[in-house]
Amino acid sequence: MDQIATPQEAIQNKQYKMALIELLYQLADDDFILAFRGSEWLGLAPHIEEDIAYASINQATMGHAVMYYELLESLGEGSADELAHERKASERKNAILLELMNGTGSYLENPSYDWAFTVVRHYFYDIYKKLKLESLKQSSYLPLAQAATKIKMEQYYHVMHWKVWFNQLVLSGGEAKTRMQAAIQKVWDEFADVLSYGTYAADFSKYQLIEEENLFKQKWEVEMQQVFQKAGIDYPGPPSARKGNGRTGMHTEDLNQALSILSEVYSLDPQATW
Amino acid sequence: MYTKSKYVERMSCLQNEEFYHVFEVFSKRNHKSDFQHQFSLLAPNHEMALVMAQENFMRREPVVDIWVVKRSDITKLKPEDKKALERLDNKEYRLTKGYGYLKKKWRKYEQQVLDEKEIMSWGGDQRGPNRNAAGSDSK
Repeated sequence: MDQIATPQEAIQNKQYKMALIELLYQLADDDFILAFRGSEWLGLAPHIEEDIAYASINQATMGHAVMYYELLESLGEGSADELAHERKASERKNAILLELMNGTGSYLENPSYDWAFTVVRHYFYDIYKKLKLESLKQSSYLPLAQAATKIKMEQYYHVMHWKVWFNQLVLSGGEAKTRMQAAIQKVWDEFADVLSYGTYAADFSKYQLIEEENLFKQKWEVEMQQVFQKAGIDYPGPPSARKGNGRTGMHTEDLNQALSILSEVYSLDPQATW
Repeated sequence: MYTKSKYVERMSCLQNEEFYHVFEVFSKRNHKSDFQHQFSLLAPNHEMALVMAQENFMRREPVVDIWVVKRSDITKLKPEDKKALERLDNKEYRLTKGYGYLKKKWRKYEQQVLDEKEIMSWGGDQRGPNRNAAGSDSK
């Protein structure tokens, strides 16, 4: 199909627009909620240099979410601020894995966060995201292809950062290895949801918004098998989605907890200008 | 609550076990510029230091390359050996300012009228006296 160069063109075809919007919500909500969870580590990361590096990564990821929300804005979905702050949990399309809390306690009280879970969740998500961006660079929707090209520039460092943490902790043995294996299991139990294209999967490929779902999963699996092999861990087979499918609007209580905190200031006065 | 003192306590405990090392971070602003020392940071190994260096010190300005060097790998002068740096203040001839007169000399030659005799004298006898050696008034 021909490339669609502008939002005006995209809204001509109602079915195309529906599929495009669905995909953009998945991309935006994924980056948005994971960047929020990451920001909850501020001041708590294992050491001061990591604290700053990780905070930077979260800012970058939040910036990626902004780019996707702005694409939605240009398609008439409302302002990026509203889309990020005002939508209810049931309207969100992020994968459930990305909304899960960092550990027990809260930021202000007894934050007993799990660094192993954080490293594994980010590393696996960022590898997935890198592959997804590669595919999106060929998207039929030109503004999305252009955004993906830009975002991909920062993705290299993100993957490199988590790769170092992942390999050093997994290969270190002892408590680190045990905790990393538990974290891998936890992430693997939900990762099928991250990979899911949701209800519009057929339209995504029909309109060449992104490559076909199963092809993408195969590509991802090849990459992940290498990751496990280098870490000296057996490949656990296909991942599951035990807590459900976030792409369909199903979510856990953890998302409500995140939304109430991240929109707290915004909700005080939604009309305020920033 | 995870208190600051608890954090510091844990950090110093790790340092006692020689887990963290100090790394010096260098970066290059562009392909033409030299590496410049930026800051130092704590990391357990080189790979981690490099990954930390990027977002800790290169957040605001672009760089084209980064080096990290373990501080303990740097050989420093001992305080008493710093005497080796002392010298007399009589070596002006090593400073390029000693060649300041060259500009004036150039100007003089540039302003000279090129006559036929002058031009013919350039080619001339190749086995002649070495013009560079003859009448040199270098310092």
